[in-house]
Amino acid sequence: MSETAIAVRTQSRWKLSLDSWAVLVALLAALLIRAGVFKHIPW
Amino acid sequence: MADVVTIPQVQPVQPVLRFLRVIPGVLLLAAIGYAGKLLEQNVGAYAKAHHWTFPNIEYVLWAIVLGLLISNTVGVPEIFRSGVATYEFWLKAGIVLLGARFLLGDILKLGGISLLLVAIEITGSIAFMTFLGRAFKLKPKLTSLLAVGSAVCGVSAIIAAKGAIDADDEDSSFSIAAILALGAFALFTFPVIGHFLHLSDKAYGLWAGLGVDNTAEATAAGALYSDAAAKLAVLVKSTRNAMIGFVVLAYAIYWAGKGKAHAVGNKAAFLWQKFPKFVLGFLLVSVLATYHFFSKDQVGAVANLSRWAFLLTFAGVGLRTNFQEMRKQGLRPFAVGAIGEVVIAAFTLGLVYSASKLFAW
Repeated sequence: MSETAIAVRTQSRWKLSLDSWAVLVALLAALLIRAGVFKHIPW
Repeated sequence: MADVVTIPQVQPVQPVLRFLRVIPGVLLLAAIGYAGKLLEQNVGAYAKAHHWTFPNIEYVLWAIVLGLLISNTVGVPEIFRSGVATYEFWLKAGIVLLGARFLLGDILKLGGISLLLVAIEITGSIAFMTFLGRAFKLKPKLTSLLAVGSAVCGVSAIIAAKGAIDADDEDSSFSIAAILALGAFALFTFPVIGHFLHLSDKAYGLWAGLGVDNTAEATAAGALYSDAAAKLAVLVKSTRNAMIGFVVLAYAIYWAGKGKAHAVGNKAAFLWQKFPKFVLGFLLVSVLATYHFFSKDQVGAVANLSRWAFLLTFAGVGLRTNFQEMRKQGLRPFAVGAIGEVVIAAFTLGLVYSASKLFAW
């Protein structure tokens, strides 16, 4: 009996680095504050 | 009879599953960070009410200490680990948002001074770590990794350099462990020395940004001193981070010239790939704030969001520091790192002290 193992390599569609994701998320949050979605962030 | 063919497939991790997997750890970061904030508010008030003499301990230190306690006693359970590893994401997002508290003119003014100090620090650190590595007979690539880690920006620089110079996994683990252990040590010593020498927020912030290698620890060391010092520490550390591509490229060319690493093809693409993008995000938010894209209240909200992101980061710094794991990495690279870091810290303190006298900070 032969057994063939084929590893299916899938190419990730999400190619942004952690750095770039952090920038995008931070910019989005800043824009939401600018648009008035979040009016006050307490500390 | 036909053969039975089994095809084991490597299933891709779904983005939704990946997202769900980080939630427990992120909640743990938030819980520890928030506990640190509550402890800062309540312990001081309790001590005062009972007429005890108790130093005011900032949330930064509480969050780090709580994280350290968990990591070095019960350990971080598997379910939390993916989420705890996101602390770097929060750090970078926090730095981008911190840009709202900098006017472009300040960045250019301070950036100019810090760029000069950073250039001196990088050259001095690389030269000294290379000398130490040779004196202690460390492997040449391990010496290169330690030099890059201490000169530029800790773990990120070591990981970037590892790929560029084809270093062993073991060497990069050694270097990362040494840099992290010394970063943890700096957290507790830098503020004490700063207060002892009565350094101004500006001088201390510059020193923390120049002398502490990992970005998370540099930010925390600054925040342990004051808010203003943290701002400057982040600015100077980001200037150092921006140099990562150039230093790693120089090492890659050096090792490729010796035939012990891949040759670098497109140098511009290499620099862009290694460049920390969060520095650009930080500058962009600063430009937006300078040109009044945000109202005063909105700047306050963006800055507070940055503080929340740092809160998660500080909890992560404690949680990922495990002294037992570090001890396993061996003593010699750690000794080289320790001697190097102490000398670099003294050297950068001298630089900052001279600059503070020269510019009357």
